[in-house]
Amino acid sequence: MPFAETPLRDEYAAAVERVAGRTLDALRGGGGAAALAAPDTPVPRTLLAAVRVLGADLFAPQLLTGAEPDGPTAALLSEARRAFPSPAPASPEAALAIAWQDWAAEQVLARTPYRDAAPAPTPVSTPVSTPVSVSVPAPLPGPAELGWQAWSVRMAQLSVLTLPGLDGPVHDAARANVLDLSRGTARAMLRRDFTTAVRLARWLAWADTEDRPPHLEVEPILDRIRLVGIGAVRTRLELAVAERLSEGGPR
Amino acid sequence: MTDTQVLATAQQLGTRALSWLHTCYQGGWGRLSDNTIIDLAEPNDVYKPLCEAAMASSLVLRDGVAGPQDARAARDMLDGAWEQLREGDMLYERQLRHVTVTDPLETYAHFARVGYRHAALEELLESISRLRAVHAVEIQGSRQLAVANARRVIGLSHRPDWAELAARTWLGALPEPWTIAWSIAYQVTHTVFHLTDWGARPADLPAPMRDYLRAWLPVWLDIWMEIGQWDLVGELLIVDACIGEPALGSSGWEALAAVQREDGLVPRDAEPIEEEPESAIRAHEHTAVVAVVAATVTLSRALNGTDAAAE
Repeated sequence: MPFAETPLRDEYAAAVERVAGRTLDALRGGGGAAALAAPDTPVPRTLLAAVRVLGADLFAPQLLTGAEPDGPTAALLSEARRAFPSPAPASPEAALAIAWQDWAAEQVLARTPYRDAAPAPTPVSTPVSTPVSVSVPAPLPGPAELGWQAWSVRMAQLSVLTLPGLDGPVHDAARANVLDLSRGTARAMLRRDFTTAVRLARWLAWADTEDRPPHLEVEPILDRIRLVGIGAVRTRLELAVAERLSEGGPR
Repeated sequence: MTDTQVLATAQQLGTRALSWLHTCYQGGWGRLSDNTIIDLAEPNDVYKPLCEAAMASSLVLRDGVAGPQDARAARDMLDGAWEQLREGDMLYERQLRHVTVTDPLETYAHFARVGYRHAALEELLESISRLRAVHAVEIQGSRQLAVANARRVIGLSHRPDWAELAARTWLGALPEPWTIAWSIAYQVTHTVFHLTDWGARPADLPAPMRDYLRAWLPVWLDIWMEIGQWDLVGELLIVDACIGEPALGSSGWEALAAVQREDGLVPRDAEPIEEEPESAIRAHEHTAVVAVVAATVTLSRALNGTDAAAE
């Protein structure tokens, strides 16, 4: 019944905006933990869902200032991942994107006492023994297979992987295809798809910190996106992360 | 190297577009009215399309990669246009009357490059190009290049500073590629057309501009294909052929071939095509010209690969 579902979806979307806002405040405030839930009270389900959606980006304030992920947020994310298993993917592409977003969350949680005990079912994953024993999803097809347009859109969906401390096959692909990331960014800007543009700008700023200079200057792009006034708080969070990466965060 | 499938698509697209143009002119379109005077109240009405068709025809003959039927059609259109211009007398009179207009010079270049000459006009153009006034006229960078290339093609003695002219264009600034707009894109394409003399001198394009185009042409092609700006898509394909090793794949060619009508008309954009024949010609003649030039320069570059500047 759509008219019953829509308000619920709105409620979840509003929760994502609230949690993104708290995270953004923490990032701007100098990297402390975002105060997401009152201690010793039951956590509302909408909050858990929002935490699940934002994943590793919840720790952007700490990771971008060289601090360790904080315990309360890690506990919350861990609980959210137990409450909400990976969403049912609409397509194999979506499954892969979710698997990599989950990988990022698992990588960060593994640095805390709240490393996941709960299985996060990653549909196309191959277990690889790494020091943190997080399973690594299958690699993304590259721009040669997908075309630079589709590949860059999929990289935009994985902007969370640009957080400091994460590295893997997706990052290798980004290093090897900075021109395609740059083209994808220019394309998104021209199509006024600022959500995709800002997510790809995160990759460009990241590439710059990896001594892979992008073919575009990132700062004018971030300036433009900021001035155009993107609506969603979550996108403003992505913008703030890109700005911080572009200023050269700790690696 | 351009792959053979692209060349086959280009060849068919260009031949059909040329045939459509030729048919339009044979059918009586493009006649300057008998009372056309040198002041040209409405230059875009018939004069400009006539000159554009002559330009495309002159490149078909210059590049020499067309089949005999296409070459005949091109020659026929040039003969017809030259006749309309009273064997150049009209250009001469217009240039004599208006010292600083550039269209007689630019139009004449297309004829001169394939042997249609007018001695008095050339003497006049030589004289005019010695005037400071003519070079001080305030026009856009890409338009300056059009004038400079026309003088080069005719063989006038004036020698511009090409590097300075190139640097004064939008493209010369290597701008943030995400700021391009539709009208600026046409300035970019024309900057490349004139610097390279429509693909004959790819090495004359400064290397930073070439590298910039190789990076961003795919993005621009993508966004204008998405909204069906076929005329601009065609111009970008010409640019791709003018910069040396092409950077664009087959998608632009396939898209143009897919929208080309059975009779050869290539729609300029995604709007419905006018039913009334003359309106359709007016709306889409430029895109046919673009398709003919794109095919000619692409085939010529792939088959000959010569650089006039290096000869």
